[in-house]
Amino acid sequence: MDTVANTDFTRTLNRLVELSIDGYYNPYTELQWEEALDDEQWWMPASLLTLYDTKFIDEFDEPQLMKLSKWESIHFYSLNIHGIRELLIEVTKRIHSPGYEGASEFFHHFIGEENEHMWFFAKFCLKYGSKIYPDKSMKMNVAELESDIQTFLVFARILIFEEIVDYFNIRIGKDESLHPVIRQVNNVHHQDESRHVAFGRQFVAQLHRDLIAAYGHARLTEIEGYLRRYIDASLQSFYNPAVYRDAGIEDEYRLRSALLKEPGRTRQHEKIMGRTTDFLIKNGILSEENSTL
Amino acid sequence: MSTAETASLLPKVKAWLLARKPEAGDIEMDLDLIENRLIDSLGFLEFVFFLEELGGREIKFDGDSLHKFRSLRAINENIFGAQ
Repeated sequence: MDTVANTDFTRTLNRLVELSIDGYYNPYTELQWEEALDDEQWWMPASLLTLYDTKFIDEFDEPQLMKLSKWESIHFYSLNIHGIRELLIEVTKRIHSPGYEGASEFFHHFIGEENEHMWFFAKFCLKYGSKIYPDKSMKMNVAELESDIQTFLVFARILIFEEIVDYFNIRIGKDESLHPVIRQVNNVHHQDESRHVAFGRQFVAQLHRDLIAAYGHARLTEIEGYLRRYIDASLQSFYNPAVYRDAGIEDEYRLRSALLKEPGRTRQHEKIMGRTTDFLIKNGILSEENSTL
Repeated sequence: MSTAETASLLPKVKAWLLARKPEAGDIEMDLDLIENRLIDSLGFLEFVFFLEELGGREIKFDGDSLHKFRSLRAINENIFGAQ
């Protein structure tokens, strides 16, 4: 069965493909790069730092926080690179295979755009940070799951990842106090991601409706539990001891643990996840009574 | 790190794992931690950072690093550097 064989969804996909074509830019020629970026400037707004809204932020002066903003932004782009690699693998596995006939045209644009995003994030990291933080995650073993549950989890994870990233892109892109090179990569990423999120929301909601028809309450609760843990793990991946070390902060592992216990960080996580959680609850993918995010 | 030092770290690793999965009972040195779900993809990063802090150094990741974490013996040899 074609996973997108319904008229509304087909119309949405056609529209998204048109928008991709009309708004196409060539990042290899159109993005403007500086030879170097000064360390002593904000690389992302202070409100996006993992120390924000905690007692720890007062322990550092502005130049130290600027340095932290540099390494947290290089880390943010590194997370993007690793996330994009995973989603490219999953989408490439499915393009032009049975069940994805209706989505394949859109997937061509998706793959092309994501490849470009990975290129400019990697270029930014290597040019201005001389490194990409390594991927220390373990890939989920979905082989033993039913194929429709696998597909749902893959696209739900892609959607959650893209929405978290977009929260940062929007705020960095809009902040006029930041260097134009920094704003530019976040703005162009946000433009493409808004289409990918539009697709993801509709697709994930439909895949979940199919799961409701096929499985009982216990299995759906299990899937919800997995997604909640995935959201937590994704947010926690922003707190990286290697980043604190690069920013010259000592006792980096203890700092990470302490930050994750801070009530202010729970507040920030709720803000980051707000619109995504609303969407997941509205579509019955997460239940409201269990919602702590 | 001396053999005595690394030997003192393993009980801490075992305690960390059992705190998250008490029903595992005991963990043999060669038990596959991934197959037996003592660690999974969503808890893995926490485990890596715990081991880094315990071992006092960052763990280097290459193409296939998962084998370093397969069992307590593998962790002892690959992460803590026991001979």
